Amino acid sequence: LREEEEYEEKIDLSADTTGALKWKEDLTQKAAEAFLRQQRSTPNLRKLVYGTAVEDEDQESEDADDELGGLFRVSRPDKASKQKANALDCSKFLVEKPQDWDLEEVMSSIRDCFVTGKWEDDK
Amino acid sequence: GAAGEAQCLSYTGCNFLRQRLVLATLSGRPLKIRKIRSKEEDPGLRDFEASFIRLIDKVTNGSRIEINQTGTTLYYQPGLLYGGSLEHDCSPSRGIGYYLESLLCLAPFMKHSLKIVLRGVTNDQVDPSVDVLKATALPLLKKFGIDGESLEIKINRRGMPPKGGGEILFSCPVRKVLQPVQFTDPGKIKRIRGTAYSVRVSPQMANRMVESARSILNKFLPDIYIYTDHMKGVNSGKSPGFGMCLTAETINGTILSAELASNPQGQGAVVLPEELGQNCAKLLLEEIYRGGCVDSTNQSLALLLMTLGQRDVSKVLLGPLSPYTIEFLRHLRSFFQIMFKIETKTAEEEHMGGEKVLMTCVGIGFCNLSKTIR
Repeated sequence: LREEEEYEEKIDLSADTTGALKWKEDLTQKAAEAFLRQQRSTPNLRKLVYGTAVEDEDQESEDADDELGGLFRVSRPDKASKQKANALDCSKFLVEKPQDWDLEEVMSSIRDCFVTGKWEDDK
Repeated sequence: GAAGEAQCLSYTGCNFLRQRLVLATLSGRPLKIRKIRSKEEDPGLRDFEASFIRLIDKVTNGSRIEINQTGTTLYYQPGLLYGGSLEHDCSPSRGIGYYLESLLCLAPFMKHSLKIVLRGVTNDQVDPSVDVLKATALPLLKKFGIDGESLEIKINRRGMPPKGGGEILFSCPVRKVLQPVQFTDPGKIKRIRGTAYSVRVSPQMANRMVESARSILNKFLPDIYIYTDHMKGVNSGKSPGFGMCLTAETINGTILSAELASNPQGQGAVVLPEELGQNCAKLLLEEIYRGGCVDSTNQSLALLLMTLGQRDVSKVLLGPLSPYTIEFLRHLRSFFQIMFKIETKTAEEEHMGGEKVLMTCVGIGFCNLSKTIR
């Protein structure tokens, strides 16, 4: 939601600038946004996978009562893992929102993955 | 390792049972799983899980397995990976792939190279099929130095659910150490291959699937060949059905896959082969969009082999991490104290699919202990 708001603001801004510079601004903005997105998502993915130390400790003290004699160490899972504790054990990564591969723009999103697509200069 | 001294790990629930048992076996750490479907009307382990546990017991020597009366608690103290010539009847409620995926993780580390006949369902709608694992997992093992003539998956009989009746042979050589890998450039896709199979239905079904899949994939690439496979008589198993597996192969040897199977006899609506072929082609396009150097089904196998590699840096570029892989990474940390460096990579070029993830780790220098003993 927040990203949508930001995006709308930018459209307003660019509407005020003169035509010649409009595309340039767009590019720098896009680059900055992409950079920020990457910066944001990198630590998040790691956090998503490994969680934080604080969460770990909470989990362990919560489960400690469950175990007798403290022989077993309860490994951490976050709340999400707990919910899926008895879900189907399957390695397949299902496609949740299939794209419409009949659309030209969707097809073009993978065009250059093929030898028939565009090659970078150094290859 | 010496199992008796290692600290026991404890989990709840039946999910991720296989990766937990596999990692317990490789790390030599005992494992306890509680509350297995404890709140369900029919609590405890299911037949396919019992069959999986028997399989683990078969490929190891000296494992201790204890299950409580209701089947809601499992204790496992791993023995040594032994291997040898074996056979196993897999429960038909899951595909042979359910079992084979774990054997692929364990086989390179056996005392004697594993040669095992597995019977059951070769292709279904839930687990990776034997065809896909043959086309994707074996080339992946080769990249880590696990290769040779004896590395093989052979489909003797095809079996569809509900009754199965399929049979495969899996054999794998043993390695003392694994090579580290630098797998960061998938390269461009040069060809698409596949198999359209049918059993106990008209062989025309396979041709109809091929035609419709081709009509979509031809928009991207001319080099497409989809084999038709119609096994007959005793080799066609006990239930009718059809389906398709597709692979996209790059110039660097990356193989991405997709597959679909018809509804099991007596379950769900009738699926037209044209529809299945088209949908399977589109699933392959989705997998290409995700991209990376390893297909989404084999992410965890690649990460395991990187973890167990020599004490050297391994890198692999993946598509988005699957939920199964994310849990596998957490388990790798618990069992082996290893954490990966995880970097998100936005595609530099516009028409190269979605965001990728670069995974880096230093191998723990796992040695196949049974191989060092003369």
